[in-house]
Amino acid sequence: MSDIAGLRIVGTAKEKAAILSFTLDGVHAHDIGTILDSQGVAIRVGHHCAMPVMQRFGVPATARASFALYNTREDVDTLVAGVREVRSIFGR
Amino acid sequence: MSVSASPTEKPPMNDLRELYSEVIFDHYRAPRNRRVLAEANRKAEGYNPLCGDKVTVYLDVQEGVIRDASFEGVGCAISTAAASLMTDALKGRKVGEVEALARDFQTMATEADASPHPELGKLQVLAGVREFPSRVKCATLASHTVLAALKGEREPVSTE
Repeated sequence: MSDIAGLRIVGTAKEKAAILSFTLDGVHAHDIGTILDSQGVAIRVGHHCAMPVMQRFGVPATARASFALYNTREDVDTLVAGVREVRSIFGR
Repeated sequence: MSVSASPTEKPPMNDLRELYSEVIFDHYRAPRNRRVLAEANRKAEGYNPLCGDKVTVYLDVQEGVIRDASFEGVGCAISTAAASLMTDALKGRKVGEVEALARDFQTMATEADASPHPELGKLQVLAGVREFPSRVKCATLASHTVLAALKGEREPVSTE
């Protein structure tokens, strides 16, 4: 994921849970969510009911993928391909 | 995270391309009228708490005509383009026409059938948002805020 231009992962603790919040330079989280949805990938976007944390990290919103027991390696590849598609639609 | 392999659950790609048209990208990357309007005599704030979108609309109204309009704020491509296109569309209009314009725009963004709205001019590029219910509020935030500014509302308007 972090190979994608302008992608920043928010929350990088060593023992973090299987949850991945991220931002993409020049692309609002809601636009990321809509485009990933069209690829069949459901993530959560926005404040995540935690507006003070957004202010702490200085971001208007984040996109957030969370992984569960049923998610496969292919699902992760689909997510990464989807984020690359977002990058390609928005340019850079 | 839910990943669906079934293509039938995906909105068709042409809907997505219709939503993210060139005009919308143009107004997102280079928004028109994004500045504080020092001469403004009407102002309102709009807030979409689910997205985190915030917009402030400034209007300079002289003798019942919108002489100038501007906005400030951060948001997604849809809300930024909508604010840019909406403020452009307001300039030179009579106050009485603006309410109809905002209402027509909100109808276009939400109605199921795709009837044309030529009176909306360039704002018609946002018609594609009707295929994306979760994005309708991004498109209509600026229009709600314009109406609040004309009514002189002091509290921020919220889409929730």
